[in-house]
Amino acid sequence: MDNHCVMLIESDLVIRTPLAQYLRDCGFRVVEAFNAEEARIVLAQADLTIDTVFLDADMPEESGFAFAAWMRANHPGVEVILAGSVEKTAAKAGELCKEGPAISKPYDHKIVLDEIRRRIAARARNMDES
Amino acid sequence: MISQKSTAKPDVEIDASPKHVLVVDDDIVIRLLIAEVMRDEGICVIEARSGEDAAGYLKSGGRADLIFSDIQMPGSIDGLQLARYVRETYPSIPVILTSGGIIPQGLNGVVKFVSKPFRLNSVLELVLETLNAAGGAANG
Repeated sequence: MDNHCVMLIESDLVIRTPLAQYLRDCGFRVVEAFNAEEARIVLAQADLTIDTVFLDADMPEESGFAFAAWMRANHPGVEVILAGSVEKTAAKAGELCKEGPAISKPYDHKIVLDEIRRRIAARARNMDES
Repeated sequence: MISQKSTAKPDVEIDASPKHVLVVDDDIVIRLLIAEVMRDEGICVIEARSGEDAAGYLKSGGRADLIFSDIQMPGSIDGLQLARYVRETYPSIPVILTSGGIIPQGLNGVVKFVSKPFRLNSVLELVLETLNAAGGAANG
């Protein structure tokens, strides 16, 4: 996972911190953001390349679905993994985003790790085929 | 006389786990830079964007060996209020405050202060020095 950078967008520090630490222990570089506004500031940093964004679908102020749609339009090369409370947000999924949350809360760190690795492997396969 | 190997345990256990520093700043770029430079030194950094976030982390039993906090932050708890709360509730945790404004009065040497803009290496040196002086006192 050399240099693979994951941005975690999660407003709850108590949820975000241990997940970020777990992913760092697994060899990822991890950037933590509180909300979509902070995430956009991070994405604008010229010296920082984000490979994967893991975000809560139920973020404060701006929904994760809307942010995921914005990511697809503005940063199509970045993998986006939606997570969060499926029941609460499923209704919004259809109108805002083609994919619903892949992982629900409370986060199982190993499942998050596996999903990130799965996305990286799928992307690598797609690049090989193209 | 038969010599015996001492099997007594040392009086003081050495805590080899990484130090935990709670970084509190509402500016994500500053938070990110400080956090990265500390992590490169093997420090476990907890990032909070407000005084409420930081206080909530401490109340939940989260470990902090040192707190590095901006003073001017949105919300109901600014850096000075956070420092007072920590001094009263977790007196063993050292606090370093930072600000781009005028040096606040009333710190009375209880907390350290760094003016913004600062050099990251200077902050890191101060953090390491403070952690060493505190000898690993921790919350959580």
